[in-house]
Amino acid sequence: MSNSSVTHVQMSSAGQTERTAVHLMPCEIEHNGPAQVSQYFTAAMKDRKHEKTVSFRGRGLRGQELSCPQGYTGLVLKEVNKPGSDQEDRTVRVSSVFDKLTYWNMETPPNSDDTIVMAMSWPELAEAIHGPVDD
Amino acid sequence: MDLGEFEADNSVSCRLVSEIPQICRTEDCCLGIDEAGRGPVLGPMVYGICYCPVSKKEELKDLKVADSKTLTEAERENLFQKLDEARSFVGWALQILSPNTISTSMLQRAKYNLNSLSHDAAIGLVQYALDSGVQLKEVFVDTVGPAEKYQEKLSQRFPGLEVTVRPKADSLFPIVSAASICAKVARDHAVKGWNFMEDLGDVDTDYGSGYPNDPKTKAWLLKYLDPVFGYPQFVRFSWSTAQTLLDGKAATVHWDDDEEDGEKAAARQNNKSMLSYFSRAAGGNDQSSTHQTHRFFTERRLHSLDAL
Repeated sequence: MSNSSVTHVQMSSAGQTERTAVHLMPCEIEHNGPAQVSQYFTAAMKDRKHEKTVSFRGRGLRGQELSCPQGYTGLVLKEVNKPGSDQEDRTVRVSSVFDKLTYWNMETPPNSDDTIVMAMSWPELAEAIHGPVDD
Repeated sequence: MDLGEFEADNSVSCRLVSEIPQICRTEDCCLGIDEAGRGPVLGPMVYGICYCPVSKKEELKDLKVADSKTLTEAERENLFQKLDEARSFVGWALQILSPNTISTSMLQRAKYNLNSLSHDAAIGLVQYALDSGVQLKEVFVDTVGPAEKYQEKLSQRFPGLEVTVRPKADSLFPIVSAASICAKVARDHAVKGWNFMEDLGDVDTDYGSGYPNDPKTKAWLLKYLDPVFGYPQFVRFSWSTAQTLLDGKAATVHWDDDEEDGEKAAARQNNKSMLSYFSRAAGGNDQSSTHQTHRFFTERRLHSLDAL
């Protein structure tokens, strides 16, 4: 890549930022900005025995809560000033943190084969294959 | 009419029933089926059945039930009251299909259209009457679709019953008029007292009839459009009226089962379209593509990140 710009993550703010609820949606929403999540979404969410249900834009969603792998924290990053060109360095700050998230499937019940559930196993595996070896 | 059970959770389908008159368990009965609220973009669709002994048809006629559409709301309330007073020989049952049930069924991956949804609601209600011991012999059904096919479907499903499906049955057979009154009264109540699950504060309830061409309904749909979530569950997202408004005024949402043009979808997701492999530059020149990511990572959609 000819691009030599560096992206800085300002971690200093992570300590005091509030924990927030994060929803991973099974669709792409062409919107970047605030949304009335608690009014429209959380308020209509139902907690059933093995899953949560809700609908979004008239489509039925089924989901569950998922914890971040042990020792990890989820970060929501926000870029304060967008650089004018791709040669400039970029800075993002931590706007909120989370240790669990709710992911949603379109119509199918949440299960252990869901991509995000499987993805969470990588840190443990990475530790096993890249970590220091005991003699 | 007490809609408490539906109002406790108006996101799902709900069945409300009257007590079964004792006489309906011993004498041959007729049953009428009608629906209310098929067309509106707002609120539930209600399926209703009403039944009474064949020998009491004249008494039912004397109650002067008529097609619910020709009556005012007050007249319908009044007639429902009369049906309730005739509970020694008239019974009813309702299936309330919430707007959320309608939206999510019609929009689901394996599409479940409004006709199938309606037919299944009707079949479910007739089965309920049979299971409850009502001595059913004759069934009269109002329909908006092709009557013959529907009649065939019902006759096959219930071989012991004499089924008559007829357009405008609600003005021809008093037992169907009675069913239409029960359904319409429930629909009126449900819409009027809609309990918004969303936290929207005081919602303007001046939404008119709920029909897409009603100016009040149109104004309400414009007022309560949210750019991200679209609408509360009170609105049927599967109606073209709602979809058109959202297409024009709300953020676009892409689902992985959208019937989107392949090339366009690929461009949006920053993927290569099939066609790009046929262009001149494709092939061995691209150094980075020789590195294949292991299946472990692609299956988990994990990427190593070197830029945002």
